[in-house]
Amino acid sequence: MSGHVKNMYPQLSISQAASTLLSLLLVAAIDSMNAGIACRNQQCESHIQRSFKLTRLIHMESVDLLKIYKASQGDLSELFCQMPNNIVPDPNISGLDPSERMLSIYSHCKAFLPHLKRVTEQQRDLQPPSSPLLNNLTTAQYRTSGLANQINCIYQTLFPNLPIPLEPVDGPTSIHPSQNVFQQKVYGCVVLKNFKELLSQIRHELRTIKNQMCKSRTFAYTNALF
Amino acid sequence: MKTTTYGLFRLCKIHHAFPSSIDLMHGFSLGSITTYGTIIPQSPSVEIGKEFTATCVLYTAAKATAEDIYWKLKNVTVPKEQYTKINDSAVSVTITITNETANWLLCEKKGSPLNRNQVIHGILLTKGYPPEKPVNLSCMAVQSGQKISSNVTLSYISVSNKSSKAHRSSGYIDFGTFPSFMQLAMWVEVENKLGKVRSDILDIYAADLVKTNPPSDVNILSENNFSRTLLVSWKHPIHVTYVTLKYNIRFCTVGSGDWTEVPPNDTESYKESFRLQYLKPDTEYVVQVRCIHHMGYGYWSDWSANSTARTPEDKPTSKPDLWRVIIPSQVKSERRVQVMCKDPVESNGRIQGYSIKIQDGNWETVAVNDSDLDSRSQERKIIPLYQIPWSDKRRGLIELKAWNSVGESPQASLVIPKLTQEPPSVEWLSWFTQQGRLWVKWQPPNVTATGEPYRSEVTEYILEWVSVSDGAMDWQRERRHTRTAAIKGNLQKFNRYNISVYPMYSGWTGKPLTIAAFLEQGAPLEGPSVKVRRTGKNDAELEWMEIPLDKQRGFITNYTIFFITGGKEHFVSTDTYSYTVKRMASNSKYVVRVMASTVQGSTNSSDLSFNTLMYAPGQIEAIVVAVCISFLFSVVLTMLFCIYKMDSIKKKIWPPVPDPSNSTIAKWSPDFTSKADIPKESALGDVSIVEVDVFDRKSLCEEDKAGLPLKKDKYLSEEHSSGIGGSSCLSSPHQSVSDSDEGGDEGQTTASTVQYSSVVASCGYKGQTPCPLPQSGSSQTPSFTRSESTQPLLDSEEHPEGPESQRYLRNPYFGRLPGGNNGDSGDLEDLNQMEMKKQGLALRRFCPLEEDFQQTTPTEEGQSPDGQPGPDPSYMPQLSGYRPQC
Repeated sequence: MSGHVKNMYPQLSISQAASTLLSLLLVAAIDSMNAGIACRNQQCESHIQRSFKLTRLIHMESVDLLKIYKASQGDLSELFCQMPNNIVPDPNISGLDPSERMLSIYSHCKAFLPHLKRVTEQQRDLQPPSSPLLNNLTTAQYRTSGLANQINCIYQTLFPNLPIPLEPVDGPTSIHPSQNVFQQKVYGCVVLKNFKELLSQIRHELRTIKNQMCKSRTFAYTNALF
Repeated sequence: MKTTTYGLFRLCKIHHAFPSSIDLMHGFSLGSITTYGTIIPQSPSVEIGKEFTATCVLYTAAKATAEDIYWKLKNVTVPKEQYTKINDSAVSVTITITNETANWLLCEKKGSPLNRNQVIHGILLTKGYPPEKPVNLSCMAVQSGQKISSNVTLSYISVSNKSSKAHRSSGYIDFGTFPSFMQLAMWVEVENKLGKVRSDILDIYAADLVKTNPPSDVNILSENNFSRTLLVSWKHPIHVTYVTLKYNIRFCTVGSGDWTEVPPNDTESYKESFRLQYLKPDTEYVVQVRCIHHMGYGYWSDWSANSTARTPEDKPTSKPDLWRVIIPSQVKSERRVQVMCKDPVESNGRIQGYSIKIQDGNWETVAVNDSDLDSRSQERKIIPLYQIPWSDKRRGLIELKAWNSVGESPQASLVIPKLTQEPPSVEWLSWFTQQGRLWVKWQPPNVTATGEPYRSEVTEYILEWVSVSDGAMDWQRERRHTRTAAIKGNLQKFNRYNISVYPMYSGWTGKPLTIAAFLEQGAPLEGPSVKVRRTGKNDAELEWMEIPLDKQRGFITNYTIFFITGGKEHFVSTDTYSYTVKRMASNSKYVVRVMASTVQGSTNSSDLSFNTLMYAPGQIEAIVVAVCISFLFSVVLTMLFCIYKMDSIKKKIWPPVPDPSNSTIAKWSPDFTSKADIPKESALGDVSIVEVDVFDRKSLCEEDKAGLPLKKDKYLSEEHSSGIGGSSCLSSPHQSVSDSDEGGDEGQTTASTVQYSSVVASCGYKGQTPCPLPQSGSSQTPSFTRSESTQPLLDSEEHPEGPESQRYLRNPYFGRLPGGNNGDSGDLEDLNQMEMKKQGLALRRFCPLEEDFQQTTPTEEGQSPDGQPGPDPSYMPQLSGYRPQC
């Protein structure tokens, strides 16, 4: 995934640029997704530490997101979350060795992204535009995508000889094409519940992987951080 | 096509601005435009300093060839050398763009001799520079609510124009969601019509952009029994899942602004409280907290708002600052000691009072009122405690303790030695100013171990300063090894301070050494008061008073005397308060002023005018005295001359007149009848007959009458005599040689004249040669000479051997002198002179023939000393003949 470019909105430079003979087009470009760039000059502990913190942040936000979701769904919100839904991916991390579990983490992150996107689209129709739920859902997508990239980077760093499969390890997740409002609310709640559970497991896995993979070098330091 | 229209439209606007290009209107008609060609490129942006090439393409409507085309930059034709013919209908031109290059480039067709040049087309050149590469990128994301804002401010340094300076520009990027814990690559692209440039990539961790809010709810807790600690607590500004923070704490006492930071290592952990230690008791502190990413990423937050708390009180832990001031007393051999103090430096609370003990007395308590002392103020006030008389021969110990609500301070002591036992002072003392502070430098005293009661080592120094203007004093203590110290008091500029340094010998106060100093000097506040003490003819002495010390505002370096009228200057040293100006013109007006100077300026006195004298003091007296002395000298000389030449002068003024009383006529025979024997003139050659006017016989004195019995009945009254002239003309007493009746009628006698008769010796010339005396009176017959003169006979004729005084007395001229005493010859002479003057006046008035009279005198002088006439008497006729009485 290539980086994206954002227009920068000049502040002080506006009046100064106006005084010049030629107009200036200022473009600030950022690249937060390019794994190639993100993985440069990164150390094991640094990768995992940041990913762990990011997971912790997303997990915390997912808890709040679920609360907000329930609060914004009106009556029967608890009922929505208790309904089973098989189309949502399982949040459990699978694999026997660290590489497999890392790969499972990456696949789960990738797998949840379209579901989060679908829930966001559905809630955009159900919620007013100013609803914080929409913003939090967007943030969750954004951070999950970033987490996936970081996991990818860690995986490449720790296991440079193992290729990352293009498709998720658990197979592509199917999304039901059409749902009524009730189904959408049930679907959304299940997605967020599983998403929160996934992040919890990722935190646990990252801590374990950190201890296994980076112990020899920065054991004491990482322990202090965690 | 759109560009072309744009170009024509712009060209049309320029056409109106330049009427010379009116030919451009040839292609125009109402509602349509006829074009004769075009320029490629259209309205380009050109870079300054680079070459630019444009091509003019002719249309058939132009009816011209490439040879007819020439280029113009506004009104200036581009040289043909810069043209390049592409084909018959196209010609290009290459020009170098500069700042001075005109904006309009025109393609024209050369006109015929009858027609003017025709503009084919024109383009507007937009000059400029390509963008410069942005450098020094920096980003910041601040906290918004409980999250990090998605808007990231990006700033960079760019140069938009080569001729302008670099400046910092900034903008913001909206991420939508802040990319926490992500690695970012950021760069800035700058683009304009002349190019596009991209900055270097800024590879940055998202946490490096973060600037959180300062910690919130900063609170300080003061705990009893912990007088030196404060517990600071706060809340994290943001959740730890976003940013793990570390903190920084600083504190200071209220009003000081001198912040003390807690070591960063103590607050690295993610905590929300911290205990400040080693604080001062009973002191109000201000605390602030800030935070940053625990790894140091990003930016420090701003400091939190001030949080204030006071530490609890504690008992004083340092001594009170005990000091004394010696006040001279009018009582002999006694001083007055003013004991004073300041609160202990570590009072640790409000001092409520002092306990003082003098020598062997009891402890006495001096309470301090709240109004007298404010422990919260930074300034330590001076508290006067006691003022007691103190004998010069007394040595005593003063002890002092301060106490507050918690307890007592350590004890301070001060020894006041006997006047004769004061320890030595410092060797020397100097001062200087540096960085707005007054510094004092001294040399420690040179003391050796002696039998004095005090220790020979200096334990500390006390610097005392007293303001000359208001008498305010203060002191400070310095360590024993200190040689230079800054005065810590609030000294005022331009104020004179007397600074004293006291060496302290284990509580014993040494002798002070005092010096005057200024924190900053300035020009005197007022000039000296000048007056003229004395003025002379060519000098004047000016006097002025010393400027009051509180108005000097500096050390007077010198006084300068200005003469405004004369333009002179005189410099006078500072210890002189009078000056005598010399070489001044006499009787002139001078305006003078005196300027007092310091190192920082001068101030003039008011103008003073005065006049010099015409004469010097005493000069008039000297002149008068000199004149008087000269006059006296001349008088004395005259008198001496007169005395020396008295005889000659007398002879000239008063010719010797014979005294008729001594005239020999007295011996004249009475039976010699005058009428019968009146000889004829021719026959009486040796006899003079003098006709004497006798009418004043009273003037003769009795002695004369007694001594001259013969003549006593012939004295005549001199009552009416008024001098020589008078005697000769009016009333001079004369002895009458006539034998007429003297007792007859005086009126008749007065009216008549009596001729003198004298016997004239015939020997020698005019009787001057003495003749040998005859053996007997009968042996030679005397000859008588009759004189026609009215001059009385000289006394010498009759008594030549008599004294002069006697002669004078007998002279009828002096017969009127009172008493007739001739003992005082000087007075007599003066009176004679006066008389002579009177008579001289009368003589000149009435007797113009005096000379003739005088000529007869030698004849009369020619008598012999015994009054006998000479052997050859001759008759000397009066030249003027007999003169009747006036």
